[in-house]
Amino acid sequence: MNGAISFSEINDKIIESTIEIFTGMVMMEISVAGEPLAKLGPLKNSITGMVGLAGVQKGVLAVHFPKQLALDVTGSFLGMDVEEINADVQDAIGEIANMLGGNLKTILSDRGKDIQLSLPSTIYGEEYAFSSQAEVDQVILPFQAPSGLFYVEIELER
Amino acid sequence: MAKNVLLVDDSSTMRKIISRSLRQAGLDFGEIYEAGDGQEALAMLEKESIDIVLSDINMPNMNGIEFLREKNNRPGIKDIPVFMISTETGDDIIGEAKSLGAIGALKKPFTPDKVNEVLGPLM
Repeated sequence: MNGAISFSEINDKIIESTIEIFTGMVMMEISVAGEPLAKLGPLKNSITGMVGLAGVQKGVLAVHFPKQLALDVTGSFLGMDVEEINADVQDAIGEIANMLGGNLKTILSDRGKDIQLSLPSTIYGEEYAFSSQAEVDQVILPFQAPSGLFYVEIELER
Repeated sequence: MAKNVLLVDDSSTMRKIISRSLRQAGLDFGEIYEAGDGQEALAMLEKESIDIVLSDINMPNMNGIEFLREKNNRPGIKDIPVFMISTETGDDIIGEAKSLGAIGALKKPFTPDKVNEVLGPLM
């Protein structure tokens, strides 16, 4: 990874931001669910929101939610019942990725890195793998929400 | 008199959250209008009676910086104040927004208390 920032420093700030987003905006209590992971297997019946980083530091920040948790998160975020993955769910999960991506950009930009953030996008399906073609350093942060585990994944190109 | 507010954000979720936060913060405002990007915001400003704009920066079609630049070229709407609400809160981008007339910035995520503290004086 370029520059003088370590993943442990990034992890601490992204954990803090994730908890802030959930308690302050989604209105859902969450907690860290163990140590960071190096790899994640295929995602099943899930939705992923992601934003890309471009500029001197390329990479991606993604949030992976199992379907039921994504529905619960969207319902709590918007104050309404949500029964299927629809435009509201995609928008809400994308916006969580966007806020976390903004935080990651700030962490890296504070170290003088000129970085641009892409617009958020989402993918979902019964089974898919999330991986990068480029050589990356990556970390996956697990969180426990009331109806399941979700993951925040950061990949930074070497 | 209560102020009419235009929310500009490509995320419908975020427009709902900001709208809800304004209500939860107990602020006195009139109508809330919504736009999904800078182009829609310009059209809305030309059409409706809007007193203050709360705008995201990172949006498709026309982002918040381009929106400010274009608004400044339109005599009928150039004096309507714009407050930025964005994940983009680096000094460079907020500095650019302020140099184009933005009156302040609020970082996402935010709480209703923060909305009250920052936007209350503007309402």
